[in-house]
Amino acid sequence: MGVILEVKNLTKKFGGLTAVNDFSFEIKRGEFLGLIGPNGAGKTTVFNLISGFEKPNSGKIIFDGIDITGKRPQKIVNLGVSRTFQIVRSFKFLSLLDNIKVSCLSPRGKSFARQHGIDEYASTILASVGLIDKARIPPVILPHGDLRKLGIGKALGTNPQLLLLDEPFSGLSHEETQGITSLIQKLHDDGVTIFMTGHVLRELMHLVPRVIAMHQGKFIIDGTPREVANNKLVLEAYLGKGDVFA
Amino acid sequence: MASNIKNKIISVPNYLKTWIKTFRGGLTIFCLIIISIIPIFLQNPYHLGIFITAMIFTIFAASWDFLAGFAGLVSFGQAMFLGISAYFTAYFLRNLAAPWWLSILIGAFASVCFGLFIGIPCLRLKGPYLALGTMVFSLIIFDLLMMGGLALILFGTEGISRVPSIFPVNETYQIKIYYLTLIITVICLEIIIFIGKSNLGTILKSIRDDSTSSEASGINITKYKIIAFMISSFFAGIAGGIFAVHLRAVNPAIFGPLYSFYAIIMASLGGLATISGSALGAFFFIFLGEALRPFGDYSVLIFSIVLILLIRFAEHGILKPILERLKDLWDLLLGR
Repeated sequence: MGVILEVKNLTKKFGGLTAVNDFSFEIKRGEFLGLIGPNGAGKTTVFNLISGFEKPNSGKIIFDGIDITGKRPQKIVNLGVSRTFQIVRSFKFLSLLDNIKVSCLSPRGKSFARQHGIDEYASTILASVGLIDKARIPPVILPHGDLRKLGIGKALGTNPQLLLLDEPFSGLSHEETQGITSLIQKLHDDGVTIFMTGHVLRELMHLVPRVIAMHQGKFIIDGTPREVANNKLVLEAYLGKGDVFA
Repeated sequence: MASNIKNKIISVPNYLKTWIKTFRGGLTIFCLIIISIIPIFLQNPYHLGIFITAMIFTIFAASWDFLAGFAGLVSFGQAMFLGISAYFTAYFLRNLAAPWWLSILIGAFASVCFGLFIGIPCLRLKGPYLALGTMVFSLIIFDLLMMGGLALILFGTEGISRVPSIFPVNETYQIKIYYLTLIITVICLEIIIFIGKSNLGTILKSIRDDSTSSEASGINITKYKIIAFMISSFFAGIAGGIFAVHLRAVNPAIFGPLYSFYAIIMASLGGLATISGSALGAFFFIFLGEALRPFGDYSVLIFSIVLILLIRFAEHGILKPILERLKDLWDLLLGR
């Protein structure tokens, strides 16, 4: 079990605000890791830095032995790091199949899809996220849960080694959450390394064996869900400091 | 293997048969037949000329629609590709006595090179800034040709005139040009529609819908935007080449903003991202202009009012509502 992603002393400033402050961690190959923190902790910024949508002020990101710090998103995706977005993004006027096909047509996606045929490959992915019966319709009329599944499907089109899921449960009903949970679990069982964020902790804590907590851009703790949930600093980050509860 | 090929050969006419029976296929064939038999009834070179102009603008508007409708890149300088190619075609025809097809192809490739040259700096711009950037480039060329130092070298304000005719000028000359233009137009539209439905088209549409998400899907959006620009400028170039052949003269006015706006109006009139809409828009626009000619100075006024009303009541173009009405009629006739 080698290290697949190594983040060293990552710092990102937006003007006077330090969104990510000297942040370091590692993900092992095949691991299932969660990143938690209250709103505004910098979780999405960490994701944007890894996936190349933001450039860090300092620090290093090494994926599979390759330095990907500050590379363009398209380059990083084609090395094998796919992501989903917190706010669901889809190609509004393309059918669901075509939505997936775009990822399959990227250089990395193509090299895997070619053996099966692009259309068949995209259909397989669409089936694996459970949307195959809606292949011909555009995403504008889909419910939110299906859009989340589509987002994951789009990320899978490039056949990622590391999948970054940004808040996969936000805005979902209980049933929809269950669907996504089992989908993510299945992906992990298939051997994809998964790194996901969430500020709704219940589902995430059930799913992952290891969690990193951050607050105001800083690393707090790295441990099992139980250790993290009982950590004083994590509780303070979520609930605030004070002797009220004492 | 052999039976495979045999099956393919047999299945193509079957496919065509079913396609013709559909509403879309039937309508396409009907329109093609109508437009191919027009010269039988209409031999006046002037009237044929109107059709030829409309067909040339069909390709031109479709080239703009490809860029804006499929790739989401709004260019306000499409006329430069028309103009570059028209100048090259005219020059090769007149000064180098090249064959017409070669001249048009050279013109189109000159447009593509220019599209690449303009595309690389302009495609860093987004939305309205891209529109302004392309417009500025076309205005710069217009000004250079009209009064800059280049005007002295590049044929000045008079442009290239007395371009030799590609067929002997007699009573069938205009008819030959008509069919030549028709064939090229149909081929160009077919290719553009085919690209729209291909994987390349899917990628371009994804960039139009959400470029950030395309990037996250591993698509090199800059590369594909440049490809879109080059394809669009190629077809605008073909239109420019035929334009030079048809008019047998070009002048710097072709680079002016007017032609760029023509393409935008025609394509939007028909409906964005519907290549056949460009044909409808172009024919409507050119015919309306001709129909209003007797009104003299008032024609522009009436023209503008008609356009405003159309955009008010058919904001997504006139193609869709017309197709829907025709479809109802078709279903009624077939008793469905």
